[in-house]
Amino acid sequence: VTARYQRHPETRLTAIEGEGVVLHLGTRRYFSVSETGLAVLEALAGPCTVEELVPLLVASYDVTPEDAGKSTHAFVTRCLAADLVVVAPHP
Amino acid sequence: MSSTIRLACSAPPLEPRLRAWLDGTRLEPPVSLTLDVRVGDPPPAPDDWHSLFQQPGVAVRSSARGSGVHLSWDVAPAVAELDATTRTARVTLSSVAIARFDECLETFFVAVLIFLLRRAGWHHIHAATAIDPEGRGWLLAGNGHSGKSTTAALFARQGWQVGTDDTAFLAPAYRAVAVVACRARIALRPDGERLLGCSAGMTLDRRHKLGYWPEELGGGFAPRVVPEVILFTAVGNGCTAATPLSARECLAELVRWSAWVMLEPDLAQEHLELMTRLARQAKSYRVTLGHDLFARPTRLRELIA
Repeated sequence: VTARYQRHPETRLTAIEGEGVVLHLGTRRYFSVSETGLAVLEALAGPCTVEELVPLLVASYDVTPEDAGKSTHAFVTRCLAADLVVVAPHP
Repeated sequence: MSSTIRLACSAPPLEPRLRAWLDGTRLEPPVSLTLDVRVGDPPPAPDDWHSLFQQPGVAVRSSARGSGVHLSWDVAPAVAELDATTRTARVTLSSVAIARFDECLETFFVAVLIFLLRRAGWHHIHAATAIDPEGRGWLLAGNGHSGKSTTAALFARQGWQVGTDDTAFLAPAYRAVAVVACRARIALRPDGERLLGCSAGMTLDRRHKLGYWPEELGGGFAPRVVPEVILFTAVGNGCTAATPLSARECLAELVRWSAWVMLEPDLAQEHLELMTRLARQAKSYRVTLGHDLFARPTRLRELIA
């Protein structure tokens, strides 16, 4: 089954100077993310697979679906490690 | 001028003292808030509530759902309960706490006020505020030994309007973010007082400092400032120097000095957005304050010109 991800409920996002800032209220940590990373985290307000995120990035940025898939997968993996993203329960 | 915060107090002897304290802050939040104070045995925090935050003298607990906070004073039994959605702080004071009422006001009630004002959209920041003679708003953020108070006093000596040297609140304003001052005496350490050439400050017992109203130093009071300049200060050994910061760097610093953004999930986004707007609206600098400032008080304005 393809994993679905969503943003940790204790994260809060904002954008500044073309980048993103993420606060994790649970760990009280502050993160900077790229504009693309912010777009991914905003999309992860609800459960999504990496494959579902790819069209969003392809539509907004000059990137191939293959590259978007790879970079999104890498970003989500890093966010999982930092607890910014969690694996969504199966419906 | 008096505070618009409503006071309900079941102990008649305490009411005038609480009213005077609230009025002295000059805080006028845009919505109705209530401080409901009773005397009795303070209720314990529910068993399933966890420690959220500890500031000097005050422990803050929250439920697992994050819906509201429970504050307790470390010095004597006193608690405050605030729901996430209601605009009332329910305070219960023991007789022991009442016996130390002035101390209770300085620590416990200030913390209660900070949480209560969040419910009006005003979010705490540990900072000094001032307005220079050209009408520009300044905000100085930093820790307890970063020169905020001495610089605020120096500004007042130059005829600036000063709001606060310590406790302020970010507040939405028309197309801007304002910073509202909680009025209190500028608290100087004895060496700061000596360097400024001041004397006859009021002894602030608990803080081992000497307090001055900005008016006593030659300045005025600024209840509200729209910052155009933000300084993140530290005290150094050399000459006063300033390094410009990007808006992104400014936001990271603001989060540090407005750390209560991490508390109460229902209010965190609003708080973070105010800081983001403030970081965009002002020029910001990391500043090292040197002793040269006392001989040349205009140095800071020259550096950021």
